[in-house]
Amino acid sequence: MKNEKKRILIVDDEPSITRLLKLNLDQTGDYEVATENVSNAALATAEEFRPDLILLDVMMPGLDGGNLAGKFQASPRLKGVPLVFLTAAITREEVRARHGVVGGLPFLAKPVNLHEVLGCLERHLGAPRAPVTASR
Amino acid sequence: MYPFGGPAGAAGSILPSKINMHTTFLVQERNKAEQAVQESEQRYKRLLASVTDYVYSVTVEHDESAATSHGPGCEAVTGYTSREFEADPFLWYRMIHSEDRAAVTAQAERVLRGETPPPLEHRIFHKDGSIRWIRNTTVPHKDELGRLIAYDGLVSDITERKRAEEQLERAYAELSQNEAALKTALQKLETANKELQTTQLQLIQAAKLESVGTLAAGVAHEVKNPLQTILMGVDYLANNLPGGKNNTTMVLSDMRDAVVRANVIVRELLQLSAATDFEPKEEDLNGLVERSLWLINSEIIASQISVVRKLEADLPRVLLDRNKMEQVFINLFINALQAMSQGGVLTVTTRHRRFGEDLKMSGPAFSQFKLGERVVIAEVQDTGQGIPEDHLPRIFDPFFTTKPTGIGTGLGLSVVKKIIDLHGGAIDIRNAPLGGVLVTLVLKTEPEAKL
Repeated sequence: MKNEKKRILIVDDEPSITRLLKLNLDQTGDYEVATENVSNAALATAEEFRPDLILLDVMMPGLDGGNLAGKFQASPRLKGVPLVFLTAAITREEVRARHGVVGGLPFLAKPVNLHEVLGCLERHLGAPRAPVTASR
Repeated sequence: MYPFGGPAGAAGSILPSKINMHTTFLVQERNKAEQAVQESEQRYKRLLASVTDYVYSVTVEHDESAATSHGPGCEAVTGYTSREFEADPFLWYRMIHSEDRAAVTAQAERVLRGETPPPLEHRIFHKDGSIRWIRNTTVPHKDELGRLIAYDGLVSDITERKRAEEQLERAYAELSQNEAALKTALQKLETANKELQTTQLQLIQAAKLESVGTLAAGVAHEVKNPLQTILMGVDYLANNLPGGKNNTTMVLSDMRDAVVRANVIVRELLQLSAATDFEPKEEDLNGLVERSLWLINSEIIASQISVVRKLEADLPRVLLDRNKMEQVFINLFINALQAMSQGGVLTVTTRHRRFGEDLKMSGPAFSQFKLGERVVIAEVQDTGQGIPEDHLPRIFDPFFTTKPTGIGTGLGLSVVKKIIDLHGGAIDIRNAPLGGVLVTLVLKTEPEAKL
């Protein structure tokens, strides 16, 4: 038996952000969350974890979020997985003015609260379902 | 008979020699006398040249002047001799400058009445035609019964002194003028100096803002990440701390609000730096206004404020950076909502006119528009308390805010003005006649736009 929890990968170089976001999402019981703080290792982590959605910081040392997004989309295992940028490089107003999409990609402007993250996940993945016994 | 001997002989030879000697003596004496006269004349001329005073005497009979004699010095002072004065009793009167005759006559009358008037300074025409200044001092003479029988007058040539006085007055007047001109120039310099200092301060402030803007982007990122951590932490604690404790809820709420406030400041700093990226395109202003209202729809509903739209149809297209103008309208709408915390009406108006047709558009804010120029006007009006009049001149200053602490950072309107300036437009904020605040935006239309 396996709960059909959606799998979320959070990529951000700030351990406190990934730790707290994971704690909050875990607590909902609706998501299975993995985190990665080293952008150069994020592709391998993602290909192994096989997320349903990736929350991706933009400004990171090494491989930045934009380049990493390109690698995700080029990977056969990750192609089609929704990417949501979670970044301080944009304001909430700009995100609102552009209806959450900048350059064709969805954005969340830091600092976001849990409610906004959950709303974004629902928009892209649908409302969380009750646990089911069917396997993947 | 030759009294002194015959033509020849001893007696005859002595006589001529004696005559010769006598003649020589007489010639010598004559020469001496002539020389003495010449020297005397020269001494007299030198003496005459140095004389500046003379005395005249007037004989008085039956309270009238009967005769006047002018002393020898009169020639030096007036150019006329005593004999000329004797020959022409009215010469002295005609000599007086016409503008001074009344005063001179009045002085003489006072003397004849037995008074001792003060010395009188007046002008005369010298025989050579030049104007001279003299000082006339009278001294009465009375008999044993106190009756005036004569008076003397001392006339002094004071021309040189008068000229010196006039030169001094002219020099003083010139000095005063120069002093006044210097004072004016000094004031202008001081004003220019103050303006220069103000401009320098403005430049420094602008440079500061520029560097703040440049710094802002980097700082924003470094600040927003910790804010994200705090916000996530607050959300976690809110879901995991024991319930029922009001203080815990209040503390977490305060922390959440603090994060939001800090984020607003960072956001506005970012806007300040982002305002230099300007990408105008032809836009429909009415559509932009509607979009901005839609973006804050949740705030409008929560505020219980009614929105009145008076958007004129067929507005000409305007070159606008859409995102930045939406920022402008959102900022103005939010300000209006915050001013009407007890409810009210937000009115948004758009229209197009030729500049000058609308009497509301007066004041220095609109000085860049020419009369008759085609413009598009947008107005945002609320029914709140209005802005204190003494705050209005500073309304666009960065960090100046009229809102209570915790609401807004004061950067909003400075950014709004910067965006409007980028568009070549104008913004005016004033209190509306019937209450509330009226914000007027004026934007130039495209050259080919038609009314």
